[in-house]
Amino acid sequence: MNYVLNDRESSKIVEFIKNFARKNSLWVLAYGTGCGAIEIPPTMTSRYDAERFSVRGAATPRQADVLLITGYLSVKTLKRVIRSYEQMQDPKYVIGFGSCTINGGMYWDSYNTIKQLDLYLPVDVYINGCMPRPEAVLAGFAKLQELIGKGEANGWKHYKENLEWYRQNQQKLIKNWKMPDYNW
Amino acid sequence: MADLIYENTVVNVVKEHFKDDIIDAKVRRQRRVELRTNTNNIESVLLFLKEKMGFLHLSHISCVDWIEENRFELVYILWHPQEKVNVLIKVDVDRLNPVAPNIDYIWPQANTYERELREMFGIQFEGLVGRHELILEDWDDLPPMRRDFDTLQYVMQNYTFRSGREDAQDVRETIAKRTGEEIPEFAKKYSR
Repeated sequence: MNYVLNDRESSKIVEFIKNFARKNSLWVLAYGTGCGAIEIPPTMTSRYDAERFSVRGAATPRQADVLLITGYLSVKTLKRVIRSYEQMQDPKYVIGFGSCTINGGMYWDSYNTIKQLDLYLPVDVYINGCMPRPEAVLAGFAKLQELIGKGEANGWKHYKENLEWYRQNQQKLIKNWKMPDYNW
Repeated sequence: MADLIYENTVVNVVKEHFKDDIIDAKVRRQRRVELRTNTNNIESVLLFLKEKMGFLHLSHISCVDWIEENRFELVYILWHPQEKVNVLIKVDVDRLNPVAPNIDYIWPQANTYERELREMFGIQFEGLVGRHELILEDWDDLPPMRRDFDTLQYVMQNYTFRSGREDAQDVRETIAKRTGEEIPEFAKKYSR
């Protein structure tokens, strides 16, 4: 047995296998913000049955791969979302769900909801619509799987590299910052 | 149908009992009676309605900001479960020094409503116990439901918009421009 794992070809193969495994077992954190959470039960249950596309719910942040931001995000919720996101294990992905996460949606002039999600968390896939139907949600998951398969869903790496920039944006809104530092 | 027997009874009994302390009492319509009093008498009016008249349930305490007249108007909404009649008791509070009596010993659920009013309008209830934060977190601006709080200005200061938002156009105007239709004068105020 005389093989080297560190040469370029074999690391490519290992990466391919890793990505294949990752994209075919997406565990979504069961956490709903805003009105979009109501579209998740039909997506998961028998009619649209997201499990056939290997998307399932996970109970805690440490077991989950995908964080769905379903709809508008108030500043108070943003704090909890950041904490949940930082507790998730690598690799982790964020899906922005509905027009509220893209540019504020119908809450564009609300004093208490954020307008652009990607200033605070690295978003891999946006699903537009108000609300997106379960078909659109599934299409979004399919897009995410495609990106993972190609190795392009690297929001979590981007978050670590640009942590300071994200922290700056987050702390501008969350004035009383009492959050633990995670040593990932 | 609308003989308003019980509604008139409420008005008469309250007027007779409180005399000048009730500033105004009238039947608004079927099942709705409106009383107006002041902050000194609000507790006794509420207790009287609850204990003697049977208005057992406090539905809500709401607040109206009359900024032009420099006052807040608190509206206590009571419900009579047997007679199925609502009573609205209105109280004026000075806008610069908004203090109102705490009534959560009469109905415990008033505590939540009063905390919300304290947070959203800045009205102080004497002796109100409870955390200062109910819905908002770390809020250090004007109470946001006051009419002099400029929501749009606050949004523009604290949030940024993705470009492209600004060419969102008024639907009515866009359609009118496309079809060459004239928007009537009365409809113009509804378009953005």
